Amino acid sequence: MPSAQPSPTELGEPDLILVRYGELALKKGNRGEFEKALVRNLRQALASTTKAEVDRQHGRIFIRPERRCEKAAKRAAEVFGVKTVSPAWTVASDTEAITAQAAKLLESALAARGQSEPVSFRVRVRRANKAFPLNSSELERHVAERILPGPDTVRVQLVNPEMTLGIEVRDRNTFLFLDRIEGNGGLPVGTLGRALCLLSGGIDSPVASWLAMKRGLHMGYVSFHSAPYIGEGFRRKVREVVRNLGRWQYKAPLFTVPFADIQVAIRDQTPERYRTVLYRRMMQRIAERLATAENCGALVTGECLGQVASQTLENLTCIEAATSLPVLRPVLTYDKEEIIQIARRIGTFDISIQPEPDCCTVFQPNRPVIRGRVEDCLAAEAQMDVEGLMQRALDGTEMELLDHEGGA
Amino acid sequence: MVYAPMTTVYLDNAATTPLAEPVREALAPFLGEEFGNPSSRHALGVRAAEALTRARTQVARALGGQATEVAFTSGGTEANNMAVLGAARARKKQGAQILLGATEHPSVRAAGEALSAEGFEVQTIPLDETGNLDLQVAEALLTPETVVVAQMLVNNEVGTIYPVAKLARLARKYSPQVHMHTDAVQGLGKLALDLDQLGVDSCSVSAHKVHGLKGTGALVTRPGTRLQPLIFGGGQQGGVRPGTENVVGAVAFGAAAQMADDRCEQTYEHAAGLRAQLDNGLKTLSGISLLEAGTERMPSICSLLVPGAPAEVWQHHLEARGIFVSVGSACQSNDSSVSPALLALGLDAERARRVLRLSFSALTTSEEVQIALDALESLAPELEGLS
Repeated sequence: MPSAQPSPTELGEPDLILVRYGELALKKGNRGEFEKALVRNLRQALASTTKAEVDRQHGRIFIRPERRCEKAAKRAAEVFGVKTVSPAWTVASDTEAITAQAAKLLESALAARGQSEPVSFRVRVRRANKAFPLNSSELERHVAERILPGPDTVRVQLVNPEMTLGIEVRDRNTFLFLDRIEGNGGLPVGTLGRALCLLSGGIDSPVASWLAMKRGLHMGYVSFHSAPYIGEGFRRKVREVVRNLGRWQYKAPLFTVPFADIQVAIRDQTPERYRTVLYRRMMQRIAERLATAENCGALVTGECLGQVASQTLENLTCIEAATSLPVLRPVLTYDKEEIIQIARRIGTFDISIQPEPDCCTVFQPNRPVIRGRVEDCLAAEAQMDVEGLMQRALDGTEMELLDHEGGA
Repeated sequence: MVYAPMTTVYLDNAATTPLAEPVREALAPFLGEEFGNPSSRHALGVRAAEALTRARTQVARALGGQATEVAFTSGGTEANNMAVLGAARARKKQGAQILLGATEHPSVRAAGEALSAEGFEVQTIPLDETGNLDLQVAEALLTPETVVVAQMLVNNEVGTIYPVAKLARLARKYSPQVHMHTDAVQGLGKLALDLDQLGVDSCSVSAHKVHGLKGTGALVTRPGTRLQPLIFGGGQQGGVRPGTENVVGAVAFGAAAQMADDRCEQTYEHAAGLRAQLDNGLKTLSGISLLEAGTERMPSICSLLVPGAPAEVWQHHLEARGIFVSVGSACQSNDSSVSPALLALGLDAERARRVLRLSFSALTTSEEVQIALDALESLAPELEGLS
């Protein structure tokens, strides 16, 4: 569908962004809390684009950006919990002023559209100001009759028109808009609690984190660093991923756990085939400790059923058995292509494919176990000082708060 | 992290070198009051232009003297591009064959690929099994249609010094109109360079390899050399590389080049001493050997073949002890990303992943080499058993 966005030279920039949110309205019990969170998240998101006022009124959020209204609208649409946004123009709540502005809007939209088939069109009025002299359908008719240029350019169609001119009449001001930018949907980040995501450096875990944020979880991150088998480049890459995910959650803690000693112990003291599963069990144990200290109610991983040999149902069972926290796996049933598609959309793909491996080749088993058994994991771990290794790793763990702008 | 090195031992001077104090002093006024545009006609501009001229003279001097033209560039990559692309495109009517060395820097190889897409025939001068340039094959490849020959002077990974002058004589014998280019980025400051003795038409050098700033290099050419420019603009630097000159970078490069050239014999001897020390130390260390490629070698670049764990693991373990070195090829890289230079030397992908490079500068001390040797010795029991 061609954009109905009027060219700013004829009409001027919109001065207001109307934000509509969907699902929130369903959550009657704590709707107020959800709305507050959404306003807060919108404020943080917009900070990177422009100064803006964000207000909440009658089931809508209104953003008045100081500048860059179009860009701010796109940014607002990214925020989880937002259903649609519309850049809008404000006029006084007066029939003549509304009609004049509506005519300008339609004219510039048609000009931007160029010569083509007649466009199907309707005016849709939402009237919060019940004292306004015309009711909704009277105002719709009043405006349409005065602005429509003729049937060879515009054809009225009430159901599913290509172009809808929206008019929201409030007490003093009225807002007019043509565009609806689809938002990401979901729930405001933070409204469903906190979770800790295990970031591996691969393509899957950032996508898993994004999907978890989309459902309202506030994320923290943990990554396991096998220095000195792996270089500092790996940490730079993980930081870049976390900062990129900051587009949806402005600030996030990243825990970096020194993991080489644990890998050496597992390599030297346990059956080779179980290495990968045992590494992951240790990661989950350490993540659980960090999660508990951080008030996180769940772990999030990028595990995907059958994607690599180690990700069988049996192995996932072995890994999960190491923690008592729920393990959320948002991409469990996704195909690689589906994951990559999201990774590209959210901008993590190009970071994830940088050649900075998370695990050194010297620790990889030749023939990893496919159908691991929990008993075998426990037997293997009985040979190691699990608690001591964990404690030393936790003692060496570093935490940094990373934000989207780049400064820690 | 757990690993907090107390001191830093920097043995990666083929990658880059620290800024030298006299260079910092020379450039300082140009970060402050001397901010003029060299094209301006007022005093401030004239002073900048004079500084640029002085820097040009200093770089020219390091390449053998007066009768050269110096175009400052953004670095070695741009200088190599300017020479290879510029010379080939200016000679399109004379012929379409290009000869490139087997171990050229990516900026030369990629320029060759671009020319190949433009219809030039690009061929490679191979190395023989000892790592020397195969001049017999080169002779067989040369024709009157050969318009550009590019051969690096010093191999950046194993230090082989290639017989550029011999190759240049051969090239001119078969193709009098040929443009002979050399990438001497790793040679400046260790070898007494002379455009005439090298027999080349153009030579690339880079400032940050000789204690200058990153972002500055130069293409030094014989007067009258025909090059089609890569960028177009206001005619600065004789039009061959227009754009307001990077005065700070050029001034720093001038100072650095002069210092490097003045001390090149000492630096070479100093590096030779360090290499001998390393070689001796390694003799008592079973399993680690010095790669010896070619007859003539630059002692400041030493590549080791390490056993057991891939070189990258050795690198990070050394790093944990504060010792910075580099590797020939990354640990988990696929075969296509294994250094073509190492493959050209006859190393397979597996061995190429075991190449650890230590490279010295005039500032490297014998104590530092000893620290590296001690570290290698103490790491060997842990790492040689891994694979």
